[in-house]
Amino acid sequence: MAYVELHDINKHFKKFHASKNINFSIEKGKLVALLGPSGSGKTTILRMIAGLENPDSGEVIIDGKVVNNIPGSERGIGFVFQNYALFRYMTVFDNIAFGLRVKKTPESKVKERVNELLELINCQGLEKRYPSQLSGGQQQRVAFARALAHNPQILLLDEPFAAIDAKVRLELRTWLRQMITRLNITSIFVTHDQDEAIEVADEIVVTNKGRVEQVGSPQELYKNPATPFVAEFIGNSVAVENYQDFRYFDRKQEGEKAYIRPEFVSVFKKGESIQYANSAEEGTVCDKIFRGSSIEIKVKIHGNIISAIRSINDAEINLGEKVDVFIHRLYIVKDNEVILANNSSLVEEEMVI
Amino acid sequence: MNLRKENKALKYFLIIISFIFLGVFLILPLIYIIITALKNGVAAYVNAISDEYAIKAALLTLEATLIAVVVNTIFGVFAAWLITKYTFRGKKILSTFIDLPVTVSPIIAGLIYVLTFGRQSSLFPILDSYGIQIIFAVPGIVLATIFVTFPFISRELIPVLTSQGTDEEEAAALMGAGLFKIFKKVTFPNVKWALLYGIVLCTARSIGEFGAVSVLSGHLRGKTNTLPLYIELLYQGYDFTGAFAASSILVIFAVVVLVLRLVIEKRGEKNLDIKK
Repeated sequence: MAYVELHDINKHFKKFHASKNINFSIEKGKLVALLGPSGSGKTTILRMIAGLENPDSGEVIIDGKVVNNIPGSERGIGFVFQNYALFRYMTVFDNIAFGLRVKKTPESKVKERVNELLELINCQGLEKRYPSQLSGGQQQRVAFARALAHNPQILLLDEPFAAIDAKVRLELRTWLRQMITRLNITSIFVTHDQDEAIEVADEIVVTNKGRVEQVGSPQELYKNPATPFVAEFIGNSVAVENYQDFRYFDRKQEGEKAYIRPEFVSVFKKGESIQYANSAEEGTVCDKIFRGSSIEIKVKIHGNIISAIRSINDAEINLGEKVDVFIHRLYIVKDNEVILANNSSLVEEEMVI
Repeated sequence: MNLRKENKALKYFLIIISFIFLGVFLILPLIYIIITALKNGVAAYVNAISDEYAIKAALLTLEATLIAVVVNTIFGVFAAWLITKYTFRGKKILSTFIDLPVTVSPIIAGLIYVLTFGRQSSLFPILDSYGIQIIFAVPGIVLATIFVTFPFISRELIPVLTSQGTDEEEAAALMGAGLFKIFKKVTFPNVKWALLYGIVLCTARSIGEFGAVSVLSGHLRGKTNTLPLYIELLYQGYDFTGAFAASSILVIFAVVVLVLRLVIEKRGEKNLDIKK
């Protein structure tokens, strides 16, 4: 059952067409990411759902009702701003209590609810502090609690992790994911970080230049990118124009270019045993980057430089070394469509994705 | 190392220059005012400042200042709010016009009102028929004071409001707060110190205004003479003790304003520290 729906939404900022015929729907209880590069219109979509912007045309529907003319405060939403927008002259307690007090909740109930939320976000004892006396992670959790105070049906988060340093960000991601699952609240968050979207979201809406490119689960986006943009944007894809030079792919498949992702490339030292020895091609190692948990190898093959990942447990490969390269699959782009091409040696073999 | 040494020498050089400059151009004249005011003895000084016309002039100055500050505070808050929280056509023009009084000579500000409300104006017969006199009367003085000081408050508020963006207001609105509540609970606490600072500057400028007021006042002793005009009148009449005694009142005003300014700046900074 669709809970949040957007129908033919268009939005202009002066002459800039920020949203072009946006159509998608979100099921109740899902955690959805709006993913796209900056300026792709993802925040605009979020703000229209919140009622902070009005679409020029089209309908925003929440729980079966068109809410275009209903103010944001009556849409049953909670909003977490990018920089949290905590009230800097109010204590943590007053921040969380603000919405409840506006709605004239009795003070005893306010106290009860705020304490409940402080416990939820694990910030007991911080209620008398001011926002500037909190760490970035604590600020985010307070903003989260404040957005949840009035028990909204939908939680909207604008780049919730952008302002936090890398290590804390990973912890918070997991925490937020658990929180949202526990509360079973329909949530939509904006991000430009695909790792974040893939790790946290049940479903991803990919936006580009004001349009929705594809809606699907992270697995679907990986496996079947619907548009060239998605094929390029998801994963660390490398574009290859002369993909027909690669052997063992269906040469009849016409297209402009192909995308190759590192996870679909295996690199072997000469002499290492290979399952599909006959269908590997020779390449030259031109760069290697230590990634901590793995090693990224850049290989020159047919005039292109493509990336592959090797385990740190594998035998070391040196720069300039000739290696065997096996490519599992390609995404061929033809007239704005993406065609998946498997290596012909891999007939009907199952892959994880 | 060498650089630091040179910097130190430069630092002291700049400090000395600044103090000499301030001493010669500010402190010395101020001291001279006090000395001259007291030259004929304390009794003469007290006599001069308790003069009926001196008191009337001081009261009129306070009256004009009070009205100007209230009007400009309201206008300044509205203008700053409008300019920073909304986008609309003509925003640039409006914000440029607000600065106009700073760039226009006060004497021209005075003449503008003489032309607008004076005998040759087409508005004059209408105002006259209602018995309203603006030129050479108290309303003219108030108008001139408002004109000269109206950028002060909005200019203090605009940078603060701009740097804070609209997120906090939007957050409050999404929680169901109305405009007034948002202003009272969110916007006002954020701009409180900037606003007070603007009011202090506006007050200081209002008290001291001479040029525009001089054109519009008509110099009626005891009726339309503000303190600065009164001082000039005494000075022109070679009553130096009187002139300098009255000046000392203005100096006291100025010192009070300066202290207020310091206190507000300190409090503002402290607040910024704790509550960023």
